[in-house]
Amino acid sequence: MMNAWLPYVLCILLFSVGVYAVLGKKNLIRIILGIVIAEYAVNLFLILLCWKKGGEAPILQPGAVEQVMVDPLPQALVLTSIVIGLATTAFLVAIAMRLHERYGTYDITRIRELRG
Amino acid sequence: MAGNDGEAGMTLVVKTVTRLTVGLIFLYGVYIVLNGHLSPGGGFAGGVIIALSFMNLFLAFGGKRAFEIIKKDAVTALESVGAVLFLGIALLGFADGGFFNNFLPQGRLFSLISGGAIPLSNIAICIKVGAGLFGVFLALVSFRGSEREGK
Repeated sequence: MMNAWLPYVLCILLFSVGVYAVLGKKNLIRIILGIVIAEYAVNLFLILLCWKKGGEAPILQPGAVEQVMVDPLPQALVLTSIVIGLATTAFLVAIAMRLHERYGTYDITRIRELRG
Repeated sequence: MAGNDGEAGMTLVVKTVTRLTVGLIFLYGVYIVLNGHLSPGGGFAGGVIIALSFMNLFLAFGGKRAFEIIKKDAVTALESVGAVLFLGIALLGFADGGFFNNFLPQGRLFSLISGGAIPLSNIAICIKVGAGLFGVFLALVSFRGSEREGK
């Protein structure tokens, strides 16, 4: 019974790593990496939700009959989520580059005054 | 990676390996796109792989030479072409009765030419995603250069 919960616990652990990186780090790039890690933890959680005992990947193969498949809906959702994650990551990186252009540093404690 | 290294391109090892593998990466992307209606993958994944093959070239041989070959406007135009193509396929569905209707004969299951308009949609998505992702990459790369020149 414990084993069934273990992936979810690890998933929450991964999410906590991401949140720690967002809150605890001072480098802007590490904060972005933390956001990405937290995002992937959520994706992993959604993928884990669709698991079914003995289920196979939801792909039709020629000549295959009657098999238990996992739910493909969360997988399609997660694909969309990954795409959106890609776009937001590119946006965050662009903002970070712009900040580095203005302040010459990625350290958020030194990005204080309004400039330019 | 320092900006100067990116300008001049990387070492000979990286360039040689890139020259050998980049065609294979590109072909793998094309394979993923064309088999998108039969197996995992499809327009998005294949488009990303194709864009990555171009990025590989870009990183290995340096930005200056690559910018002479690939124009940013061409990438932007290609992205728009992909979107228009996808919309066109969706609108052609009206020939069969509705938006996104599959107007082509659907063929035999599991054969390469089957699924009606789905492979065509995959190709359109591939163009859109590949050009879009490569455009993001180009924007991030050229952003620094233009800002520096401006200063």
